[in-house]
Amino acid sequence: MTEFADMRTVYGETLIKIGEENPDVVVVGADTTDSLKTKPFGKKFPNRFFNVGIAEANLITIAAGLANEGKIPFASTYAAFLPGRCVDQIRNAIAYPSRNGKNGLNVKMVVSHGGLSVGADGGSHQQIEDIAIMRVIPNVKVFIPSDTISVENLTRIFVQSYGPFFMRLARSKTPIVHSKDQKFEIGKGIVLRDGSDCTIAACGITVQMALEAADSLKQEGVSCRVIDMFSVKPIDSDLLEKAARETGGIVTCEEHNIMAGFGSAVSESISETYPVPIRRIGVRDRFGESARDSEIPLLLEKHGITSIHISNAVKEIRSKTR
Amino acid sequence: MGLNYYHIFKRVKEARKLVIKGITAAGSGHPGGSFSMAEIMGCLFYKFLKYDPKNPLWPDRDRLVLSKGHASPGLFSNLAVAGYFEKSEIETLRKLGSKLQGHPDFKCPGVEFCGGSLGLGLSFSLGMALAARIDKKNHHIYTIIGDGESNEGQVWEAAMAASKYKVDSLTVFLDRNFIQQDDYTERVMPLDEELVGDDISEMWKNAARWKVGDKWRAFGWNVLEIDGHRIEQIVKAINTALQVKGTPSIIVARTIKGKSVEHMEDNPKWHGVAPNPQISPIIDLELDCQFLISPSIIAGDMTNLENEVKRAAHGRSDFIHLDVMDGMFVPNKTFDYEKIKQLRPLTTIPFDTHLMINDPVKYVKNYVDAGCDIITVHAEVCDESSFGEIHDVLHSNDVSVGLAINPDTELPVWSEKFIPTLDQLIIMSVIPGKSGQKYIEATHEKTQRIYKFLQDKKFEGLIEADGGVDLTNIESCFLDGARVFVGGSAIIGQKDVRIMICEFRKKLMHARRKLLIQKAHSLGGNDLVNKWIDLHEVGKKKTELLQIAKEAGFV
Repeated sequence: MTEFADMRTVYGETLIKIGEENPDVVVVGADTTDSLKTKPFGKKFPNRFFNVGIAEANLITIAAGLANEGKIPFASTYAAFLPGRCVDQIRNAIAYPSRNGKNGLNVKMVVSHGGLSVGADGGSHQQIEDIAIMRVIPNVKVFIPSDTISVENLTRIFVQSYGPFFMRLARSKTPIVHSKDQKFEIGKGIVLRDGSDCTIAACGITVQMALEAADSLKQEGVSCRVIDMFSVKPIDSDLLEKAARETGGIVTCEEHNIMAGFGSAVSESISETYPVPIRRIGVRDRFGESARDSEIPLLLEKHGITSIHISNAVKEIRSKTR
Repeated sequence: MGLNYYHIFKRVKEARKLVIKGITAAGSGHPGGSFSMAEIMGCLFYKFLKYDPKNPLWPDRDRLVLSKGHASPGLFSNLAVAGYFEKSEIETLRKLGSKLQGHPDFKCPGVEFCGGSLGLGLSFSLGMALAARIDKKNHHIYTIIGDGESNEGQVWEAAMAASKYKVDSLTVFLDRNFIQQDDYTERVMPLDEELVGDDISEMWKNAARWKVGDKWRAFGWNVLEIDGHRIEQIVKAINTALQVKGTPSIIVARTIKGKSVEHMEDNPKWHGVAPNPQISPIIDLELDCQFLISPSIIAGDMTNLENEVKRAAHGRSDFIHLDVMDGMFVPNKTFDYEKIKQLRPLTTIPFDTHLMINDPVKYVKNYVDAGCDIITVHAEVCDESSFGEIHDVLHSNDVSVGLAINPDTELPVWSEKFIPTLDQLIIMSVIPGKSGQKYIEATHEKTQRIYKFLQDKKFEGLIEADGGVDLTNIESCFLDGARVFVGGSAIIGQKDVRIMICEFRKKLMHARRKLLIQKAHSLGGNDLVNKWIDLHEVGKKKTELLQIAKEAGFV
């Protein structure tokens, strides 16, 4: 049985742990601190917690000011508003300012409610452009974790490594795909299944789908390599090149517009290192819509984001490469 | 402590010149907004900010956030004057590889915020202030925002948040120059009241139309409203803001875009345009030709000097001239430091105190303590050692240093070593001792001669003409090289001080225009004269300038 856990809860708990270890960690919220589970941090460290109200531009720029003075601010709200509501602030107040060899200010943007799986709130709140927006801003690193183990590890890495980082969490509980002792490293993908016939590179909630697709393809005698590419930027070009060389084709999976998102990032990399056929699973340049929790798999299916779609894409690639 | 008036004044002038130099070399940039905030910058850099140019990231430094980042030349020029980098580097502004980017950037030491995208600086400053609170640090954060910038909604998000967090370590200046890129602010997006008609000066005439301070008050801020080109008002406002606890302060500084360069003043066109290199030397001279009026209150009712101070203040004089006579250096007696102490609370206008007393070195500290901002002593009663002592006492108390010479006295040889740091030289044009005497004509020649001599000796202060100056001779005094003008019976002795000061200024303006037209002609003949005059688009300036040029036979 697959175990599920809530990313936001783990994020909030990890913040408290690192907050105890590092007095420079501060948290900034925008009236969504209950939802983002950062409120307990505020209870524990009232002097290092700032709720600026529904004002995302202000949220980001205050965080920048705090970071400028040596703090490590975690700025959190929903993905629809961060980056949606404050691209200019991210670019000019966080990513651009650089001095003494340090690129950008040390602000950690951790958002939840990414992608279609937000569900009931509808298309207005289903952020399918955040990877695209964030990865084109110089100095910003972009992470799409697949489970709570990733979230805990990345949150810790965020404190240890300098720079503007962005991480997108899912709204709903996510299946645990990693072992407890899994090591995470910026810019390094994690091979979850080895295989030789095709590669499935996935991020976020699509990692579990990729694993399911690989399992079902295995029954049909197709050996798939599955990689969790939680580090969308910097992307693990070496691992992708190796996969391309050894498996001959790549399917990318994301809960995001296929334009300028994760699949695009993989394509950009592969096209320069070892071009092979690529199929991108993701939202095909249209908006989402409301779906109750029980209907979210149907919404994803409507947009072609399921393990079956992934399997079909693998087969399609193999028919081309043979 | 005095205002350190001349210390600030000289550096403001130098910074303005560097702005012109940088923008001219770059061929683009924003002079208008750099000049509207020039005095604010000057007061911050040379009186309030704690910083170390050799250690720009010293943790305990005060922070200066220029949120209206397009005015970066106004920041860079002051960083250069303050010693963060060589002044000559201003000519690399906006060029490839320069640390002086088009907008403030960490590439330049001393820059605290990468401005440019408007509306961000206040939030950033608030973040800085919150970090300082966590760390229990006491440094102060000064932030300059623009009025056009205030269109940005984020400014008001930050206003709300700063009020919520009660950050009293934050003082904001609103550079209220009434002009943004497209047009007058009140036409693009009114902060006060919509502008009817074309005359921006309408907004200045009626304070009831100024609403922007109320907006900030409604957001819970401590609001101070001042004339943003008056050093004494800026200093007082900052001092007040620094004492207010439990709330952030905003100083609404009413300013003039392009201030100090007539053709740029109040003209939206000069928001972001570089001067023609041919015109720059004329602008440079114009910046050297700023003038100040210092009414002498002893020309009024000696039994009610309080009222004379009020009349001068009402007349918007630049200084108030206080003639102290001891009955020994001169036969008359007026008042001493005790009286000055009583007058001091009546106004913030700088006290320009002229000590016509024996042994000034003995008494000078009393006058410092009484609240004088500029103290001038007579060369006839000083020597190198006593003047050196006076010089040091004044400097260490932020009081500007003046030296005066009588009509029959020349600058003593011992004074030469003090010339580079001297703030003011009074050249008396009457025998000191009483008001109402006639101007001694020989002073014109003497002033011209001394003016030239001082230029060669790196004098950065101003010559003050004192004695018998009136509407008939003030233009000549200006052309001699004087820049501060004491008006006794010609101002205070008249019924309406305000009108007389206006008349003085008009005459001076006329003389300055004449001088600048001559300069234009010497640089580029009638062509340049016409070109320069054409720049004066706002109001009636152009017609008046053409008249002057015609009289001079240049058009």
